[in-house]
Amino acid sequence: MVGSKKGLTFRYLIAFALLIVMVFPYLYMVMNSFADWTQVDKKVVPTEFTMRSYEWLFSGGEAGIARPWLKAFFNSVIVSTASTALMMVTGAMVAFALAKMNFKGRDFINNAVLFQMFFPAIILLIPTFLIIQNAGLYDTYTAMILPKAMSLWAVFMYTNFFRAIPDTFIEAAKLDGASNFQILYKIVMPMSKSITTVVFLFLFMERWTELLWDMIVVRSDGMLTLNVLLSQMFGPYGGYPGPMYAASVLLTVPIIILFLFFSKQFKEGMQFTLK
Amino acid sequence: MMKRNGTGWLFASPYLLYAVIFFAIPLIWSMYLSFTDWNLISPVYYFKGFDNFIEAVKHPGVQAAFFVTFKFMAAFVPVVIVSSLAVALVIHGLPKFKGLFLIGFFLPYLASGVVSSLIVKGLLSHNSAFNVFLRKFGIEVDWLSTPLSALLVVAAIIAWKFTGYYALILTAGFEGINKDVYEAAAIDGVTPSQRFWKITLPLLYPALFTVLILSIGVSFGIFTEVYQLTGGGPNYATNTWQMEIFKQAFTNLSAGYASAVAIIASVVTFASILVIRKLLEMWGKRNGWV
Repeated sequence: MVGSKKGLTFRYLIAFALLIVMVFPYLYMVMNSFADWTQVDKKVVPTEFTMRSYEWLFSGGEAGIARPWLKAFFNSVIVSTASTALMMVTGAMVAFALAKMNFKGRDFINNAVLFQMFFPAIILLIPTFLIIQNAGLYDTYTAMILPKAMSLWAVFMYTNFFRAIPDTFIEAAKLDGASNFQILYKIVMPMSKSITTVVFLFLFMERWTELLWDMIVVRSDGMLTLNVLLSQMFGPYGGYPGPMYAASVLLTVPIIILFLFFSKQFKEGMQFTLK
Repeated sequence: MMKRNGTGWLFASPYLLYAVIFFAIPLIWSMYLSFTDWNLISPVYYFKGFDNFIEAVKHPGVQAAFFVTFKFMAAFVPVVIVSSLAVALVIHGLPKFKGLFLIGFFLPYLASGVVSSLIVKGLLSHNSAFNVFLRKFGIEVDWLSTPLSALLVVAAIIAWKFTGYYALILTAGFEGINKDVYEAAAIDGVTPSQRFWKITLPLLYPALFTVLILSIGVSFGIFTEVYQLTGGGPNYATNTWQMEIFKQAFTNLSAGYASAVAIIASVVTFASILVIRKLLEMWGKRNGWV
């Protein structure tokens, strides 16, 4: 497939052009968050810039439609971090049992995980809401974290990865008197860094951008995640597109930085998952 | 042995708890609710037998959800396959910066649906550069208030999001193909189009199959973009299952009825994916790709 030098240059040009098209929406978002308010959504590339959108956002907006944007950002951080951490711990634990332990009922649990993974989750939405409400958890962080404290996809990914780890490592540690928790924490997890990065990034990103669930279990202003708050402001802030773009930057930039920070391990991990 | 059984169950216990509280109980509860007229608030409710299901099947919102999903699939799946294939074709085997490109193309996957909806809303607003440009040629489209374009806009946003992710899968597929096959074909004087259709595509089929199944799955779970941009409209043209269930359960508070809709949605989703999967497998087998 790799042709002449000329052909290669041509492919680089095409690849670069495609990339510009694909990241254009992000560039558009960033430019408009800094654009003078008379130019927001009016020009492809704004010519005059201001910090007004960010100042407006961080001061909460105008009286009457003031909202706790910074609090929402911290809510997102708390909820996403707690939820992702739990999903990873539970995912690795269950996967370790499924991949490396011999016990009665293991095959049953394995099949149950696979069945549930491919089961359309929409059927569970209303009763899950009712469980949270009846448990008195409506409008709390727990309501957003607990139903998302476990990811079957994480279990699935870790199980596949752990199965590829030779049993000799585990047997050797057992002879040294290590407990199962110690083996998982000190031997298996350090060997699974690349897959852990992939699982972490996908889970965190998914949790960070969740809308439907966070929207129905939380009501009060101080509890909303940034994604939900931004969603709610589509109408009321319709006349203030600049601050909306600034809020979008606030929502998007952390996840991109996180991703770029781990991009090397992410590439390594993806190689395994795509085999 | 007893002890080992015990630790196995101990490690698996988070799943067991989760499966009972957030799967088994909601599943049964959902079925129970679907036979009632409960409105999410009132302490009193009555059993209606299969009335909710009959009512749902007759309801335009539910009928729309059924067809919109397939219309959406017809727009989204070909677009995302072609765009991710194009990206993969261009970047696979590049001697330098390949990783950098893959990461760059993956970035849209990180976007929140709320943010991409906001950007698209801005790009398509009445006085946006794009619409002003079109008006110079006398073209005036209200993109989100026209049924067909509204559906296509949502499909385009989702295709944008997933292109880089699927290109990653396809690139890995391309790179799994043995280069010797191409050399042998070159000696036999195979034309580029023959090479693509007779060699690349069959060898790429496993990766392509994965992408097809993933993208079809995505088609059944659209919510955020529709909720932000159209609310399911105009006239149900973008009314997805999630949108219909959300409206019925949390806007109209018809919890019983919405549960029935959710059950219908789950059955339709499960059955459709199963059938499409089987058809794809048969198609691959008939062409000798599997």
